[in-house]
Amino acid sequence: MTECKTSVILCTCGKQLGLDYDFLVRQIDELDSTSVVVLHDLVCQPEGLDKITELVAEGPVVVAACTSQKIKPRIDQFLSSKKKNSSLVHYVNIREHSAWVHDDQKEASEKTLAMIRGMIRRACLSEPLVVEKKDIPNHVTVIGGGIAGIEAALSLENLGYSVTLIELTDELGGHVAHLPVVAPTGKSGKEILSSRLKSLKESKNIEVLYNSHVRFVEGELGNFTIHYLSESQKEKTIRTSAVVLAMGFTEFKPIGMDEYRYGTNPDVVTQYELSQMISSGNLERPSDGKPVKDVIMVQCVGSRSEDYKRDCSKLCCTFAIDNSLEILHHNPEAQIRVIYMDIRVPFENEMIYKESREKGVDYIRGRVSMVWEKNGETYVRFYDSLLDQHFEVSPDLVVLSSAILPPDGLAELGETLGYYLEEDGHVKELYGKLRRNETRRRGVVAVGAITRPQFVSESITEAQAGALMIHNELQQGAIEKLSRGAVLSIDDCVGCSLCAQQCPRGVPLMIEQTEAEAEDEAKKILFKAAIDTLNCHACGVCQSLCPSGATQLNFLNNEQLWSEIEAVLENVGPDDPQTLCFYCEECSVSTIDIVGTRKLKYPANTRMISVPCAGRVSIIDILKAFENGASTVMIAACETDRCHVGGTGNEIAQVQVDVAREILNAIGWNGERVDMFRMFSAEPERFTNAINEMVRRAKEFGPTPVHKGTAGKWMEVSK
Amino acid sequence: MADPVLIIGAGVAGMTAAVELADSGVDVILVDRLSTIGGNALDLYKAFPTDDCFYCFEGNRDRPGIRKCFYRSAMIDQPNISLYVNSEVGEITPKNGLFQVKLDVGPVYVNPKKCTLCGLCLTHSKAFTFTSPQCQPQSVKYDPSKSDEGDKKAESECPTRAINLDAQPTEETITVSDIVLATGYHEMKPVNMDEYGYGKIPNVITQLELAQILDPNGPSRGKLVRPSDGASVESVLMVQCVGSRDENHYPFCSKICCVFAIKHANIIALERTSAKVSVVYMDIRTYDRHEKYYRDARDAGVEFVRGRVTRIESGDDGKLDIIVYDSLLDKYLKFNVDLFVLSSALEPPPGIHTLSKSLGLSLSSGYFTPADRASGNEVVIGKHIYACGGALGPAEVPESVTQARAVASKILQSRK
Repeated sequence: MTECKTSVILCTCGKQLGLDYDFLVRQIDELDSTSVVVLHDLVCQPEGLDKITELVAEGPVVVAACTSQKIKPRIDQFLSSKKKNSSLVHYVNIREHSAWVHDDQKEASEKTLAMIRGMIRRACLSEPLVVEKKDIPNHVTVIGGGIAGIEAALSLENLGYSVTLIELTDELGGHVAHLPVVAPTGKSGKEILSSRLKSLKESKNIEVLYNSHVRFVEGELGNFTIHYLSESQKEKTIRTSAVVLAMGFTEFKPIGMDEYRYGTNPDVVTQYELSQMISSGNLERPSDGKPVKDVIMVQCVGSRSEDYKRDCSKLCCTFAIDNSLEILHHNPEAQIRVIYMDIRVPFENEMIYKESREKGVDYIRGRVSMVWEKNGETYVRFYDSLLDQHFEVSPDLVVLSSAILPPDGLAELGETLGYYLEEDGHVKELYGKLRRNETRRRGVVAVGAITRPQFVSESITEAQAGALMIHNELQQGAIEKLSRGAVLSIDDCVGCSLCAQQCPRGVPLMIEQTEAEAEDEAKKILFKAAIDTLNCHACGVCQSLCPSGATQLNFLNNEQLWSEIEAVLENVGPDDPQTLCFYCEECSVSTIDIVGTRKLKYPANTRMISVPCAGRVSIIDILKAFENGASTVMIAACETDRCHVGGTGNEIAQVQVDVAREILNAIGWNGERVDMFRMFSAEPERFTNAINEMVRRAKEFGPTPVHKGTAGKWMEVSK
Repeated sequence: MADPVLIIGAGVAGMTAAVELADSGVDVILVDRLSTIGGNALDLYKAFPTDDCFYCFEGNRDRPGIRKCFYRSAMIDQPNISLYVNSEVGEITPKNGLFQVKLDVGPVYVNPKKCTLCGLCLTHSKAFTFTSPQCQPQSVKYDPSKSDEGDKKAESECPTRAINLDAQPTEETITVSDIVLATGYHEMKPVNMDEYGYGKIPNVITQLELAQILDPNGPSRGKLVRPSDGASVESVLMVQCVGSRDENHYPFCSKICCVFAIKHANIIALERTSAKVSVVYMDIRTYDRHEKYYRDARDAGVEFVRGRVTRIESGDDGKLDIIVYDSLLDKYLKFNVDLFVLSSALEPPPGIHTLSKSLGLSLSSGYFTPADRASGNEVVIGKHIYACGGALGPAEVPESVTQARAVASKILQSRK
């Protein structure tokens, strides 16, 4: 038994919780690891906070009260104002996870005791966490000199960073530079760019590299090295702390779509090519220079198409209308027909749609079936779905509103920059609802059309927001934060690189061991992992995958979790089937809390253990639970593809569960004793259904061989 | 400058801006008219594009990457944020480059810092309610109009003495350096559109009302039922562009109603009673990757009818007879449904005129509009005045969040 002692403060929530506190105090007091147990009516109020402050001075404290999600911020803040280390405080939720969800006082009290017992063991083995400082270069690299890249560079400069802006071509401004008009501003792209280009020129802290191509990137947040090919075709490097991806988009060239004759007939152009023609003042038939009087525009060329891009490109309707109005501005007599499926113009862009109809643009709901040439003229055949008729016309110009695609080379650069891509090839954002600008890789932010088609003003807003995301990470180069996360013991690393491959935020790096002089050349490990705890997201995926226990969370190491499992399941016998639930501290804790707040009931022969992310639970942890007498084990995780810590922690957990099931089956147990469930707090029944199911299975499958005394004998005792 | 920033409106946009600024050491005064923050998101159940809860937003910086449910946001315990609920912004006077702002602060019957949600008062008096498990501040609410004999007892027995029944409204004057407008949008109640029978026929509802019916935390616990009699729903007709793209109401497109409606259609068709759903539309506007919802809906058997609703009649059995003109078939179709759902326009909140007048700002389509449109800076509304989210027009959560961050970015840039 460890010598460490922990104090416990037990809250009665103003004497409103139906638990047997006499029993709890007595039992907790008897535990070897308890130094003192304090019964308190209101832990969350000033007197309670004072008491915690007093206890923390003596060592770790277990706070058994309502959900830590509610009281932890208050306690943390109070302790930091008293200059006390809040990492010594550990929380057990005895209200939402026990008293409020079980009717039987005795059962609820026993479950409460078990969870407190577990947390005492975890607390006993905890080390206080400390705030660490780190200095990094106050420099950011922006890749792509379109409107988003320019705005990001200017915003970052204003926030106090020096910036290198790398542009592939010899001019800044990207697509916007050639737009004759940008809805809803009514200004040309050049006008929107001009003041920004001026600021860029006057800027002292932004360096622009033209005709430069980023080849690959090494390093991590705070210490990236960008390798690029300079204007003079020389290999060069930049050391930088963060990267902004702003490479914009490419317009789809519909050469493969025979029906439109693009690339064969010069009078068939894309919408962006038309923009360029208008903005350079060359609105004439490309084939013979004759004036353009009759135009057919075709929407959704390559978009909303099962063969090309499945989704909508969002901007094309507005672009087509902008260009129609520009043509009519130059030649009010021109006839313009837009062949569409749905006209999609958000918010006030509806007004320019209306204006264009009033000015005579003809909108035809239907599809073009073919384009051909006869006697030097272009012919188009289309179907009008409202009139249910086919028509043939001979326009001067056919304009294809072509799909908006990601730029070339994204996948290649992603190999070293570590971001993921969407199915459509755009850069995948960390989380579609709230973290649009961040990528899977820490320190790599994506702004503008590189993540999805975006209007000009949206790209500008994203660039400003992206600059803030970088500022939040870099803190102008002077990072000072709590060192809470994975810590790597280099001597134990076997160089398998699982952590580097699977970390949801791409934090571990594999470093070549140049100085390691192994006695035996064959045993020499060429690459070993390196983890900067200050960059870590503290999910624990690396820990659950590490074959040698080299990387462990400094607030929940293997020993801590294993002894917690042991203590939580102490005294569990064959007549007392228990379900152990590992729940992540993200969506699952919320769901379980909301179940509690709504006072939905579920059986009390369940034990809860919190983990930062479901991905922290390893096969060993699951088997430890069975070894200590659990009848069934469940993992509560975030919904598929919605894992908070980068989207993959829950998938790692799924793999662990799958393997654990195979192991159980292989040794003759029932694999269904372990399962994983996805949940979010809008649907609290997801948790109650899940735990009811696991309690049912515990009952159905009966005691495990651990209780039958046959464990390890390679057979399950049949009923 | 050490003066605080005033954020008007504590929906997703306002909360995000507040937390981002507070994390960067800027003092923030966050004001909301309602007693619970979260705005529209609190009532919307499932969010697109991620199909999980609506009520979450980005948490604080010490755990990067971690988003938070509203109830976990610790808004009342966060350093640098002063939260005023039940409060309204009054007169605003520019003074020496700053703004002097009058706040009408509602009576604080229940001190949110003291309320532990123990539930004792709820057992004594009906005047106390607990609106939602996700409410923030996490505290019960007191409605003096429902005062009964039990409320005094609740006040005296409250374990933390959180209740003060004699609380009075107060007035405060604050001085702030910047103002962030995060006033959001409201769903229009189409009571003035006789053709739809809204407000007269109980089984005619709006999409927001449907969201509450579908919400497992809502009154019917997620069961799709008719408001008139609680009978289960077998058929639903939705109609798009109610009050939007309409010269008599709002000429603009409300932008998110198509996705909103189709999301609900999919929930009904795939996760609930498998009721039959039809959607009457003019153009389906599922921008960008939202197209997926449209594809999924067609795969799930949701019927799409291009046209307009022309007449609605209510039958004795609570069912509705609805005549729809189908512009593709050039025919009139007759539907007999349990529930008729209106995708109603998203309109600016009441009070936006007073606010814009006291700030000397002009509105466009009823919403705030960028100070210099040609700059493309959509969040900059005036000198030291910013806007984000629904204050600028109908917006989905991700846009509101991005705009809120852009506002925080702009304010930090101006302070460097």
